[in-house]
Amino acid sequence: MNAAFLIQVAVSALAVAAMVALAAWAKIARPQAPLDEARARALFAEDFPERTIEAVWVATDGTGALARSGAEALVLSRLGDGYTTRQIPWAEAAAAALRDGRITLKIADVAAPRAVIALDAWPPKDLAA
Amino acid sequence: MSFDPVTLATPFFILTVILEIVLARLNKVEARYETKDTAVSLFMGLGSTVAGVLTAGASFAAAVWVYHHRIFTIPMTAVWAWIAVFLLEDMTYYWFHRLSHERRFWWASHVNHHSSQHYNLSTALRQTWTGGVAGTWLLWLPLSFLGFPPAMVAIEKGISLVYQYWIHTETIRRLPAPIEAVFNTPSHHRVHHARNPRYLDRNYAGILIIWDRMFGSFQPELDEEPCRYGLVKNLGTFNIVRVAFHEWIAIAQDLVRRPRHALGWLFGPPGWSPDGSRETSTEIKAAWAARQVAGEAKKAA
Repeated sequence: MNAAFLIQVAVSALAVAAMVALAAWAKIARPQAPLDEARARALFAEDFPERTIEAVWVATDGTGALARSGAEALVLSRLGDGYTTRQIPWAEAAAAALRDGRITLKIADVAAPRAVIALDAWPPKDLAA
Repeated sequence: MSFDPVTLATPFFILTVILEIVLARLNKVEARYETKDTAVSLFMGLGSTVAGVLTAGASFAAAVWVYHHRIFTIPMTAVWAWIAVFLLEDMTYYWFHRLSHERRFWWASHVNHHSSQHYNLSTALRQTWTGGVAGTWLLWLPLSFLGFPPAMVAIEKGISLVYQYWIHTETIRRLPAPIEAVFNTPSHHRVHHARNPRYLDRNYAGILIIWDRMFGSFQPELDEEPCRYGLVKNLGTFNIVRVAFHEWIAIAQDLVRRPRHALGWLFGPPGWSPDGSRETSTEIKAAWAARQVAGEAKKAA
């Protein structure tokens, strides 16, 4: 790599930083209201259209949700102004410990390694099995 | 090589991203930018230029070697030669792009470009760091073998990349019908970036949409079905290293867990698994189509 290329990369990095700062200043992300159950169910239905959802727990801070679908737990997490979903065995979700009002779910996926859901209580007594 | 369309266009890229953000802030255009998403897209773009330099020498040397064994000698000064290389390069791009979506080894490199849940000019710059390693540059070698000088092919590839920049926007809705019929446009490419089952694995075109029409992969954007952008399974992190390498790591994990299925893990379609526990695009589309039919039948009853 020659000096000209390194200068080009350095100038480009400065330009990138300026564009990111401009995007932050502009505040033009999608508006995000806290999740409610209807919205959480709609988002689950988009990503798991074939699954029947038995129960939904929406995070107390409105940034995620957890659903039970048979032997699976469906996990919804906010990322930026979007959402991502994954499914894990229900038994793993039910076994997650509630600490400081949150459960942390480990997901065996390098692209979405964990989900943190704020909840008042966990696990639900009637569906824990 | 002194003429590089991408380097020449870089100030244009920067100015138009700034313009799109400012106009969106002033409610003059429809565009959404999320700060971390924008940062990942732009730093992926910057990283790809560095990664590209590391492998460009080898791929260009291969093209020169092939050119030394060419069938014909095609002059760089002839207009017909530029028309021919434009058409052939664009068709090569179509097949490269289709391969990059339909086989996991190459998807591992290309997935980065589709990992944003946004569709704006910064998304265009969310480019791979591992394209050179994936070896898709081999697909362009037949052009040099035919007799097109490697510099001519490289310039045409650069023109194609620059063309594909401006179509990453929601600001432009539809262009006049004759243009939509022949060229890849923002509308056609929005479909390509959508994760709706109906839109998966469609519109692979570079500059000319005619290849999708010819090879059966064309899907128009439908007003009744707005595009939802991103991956079938969206990323759960803005960590740029995970963004760049997650599918390669996932392949490695699958190979270690069940090496007997190595060919399937590497060269099956994305979402393939030996026990069918995952879903490919074809399966997702088939399930969606079945639900549509069932829905229609329910309505009719």
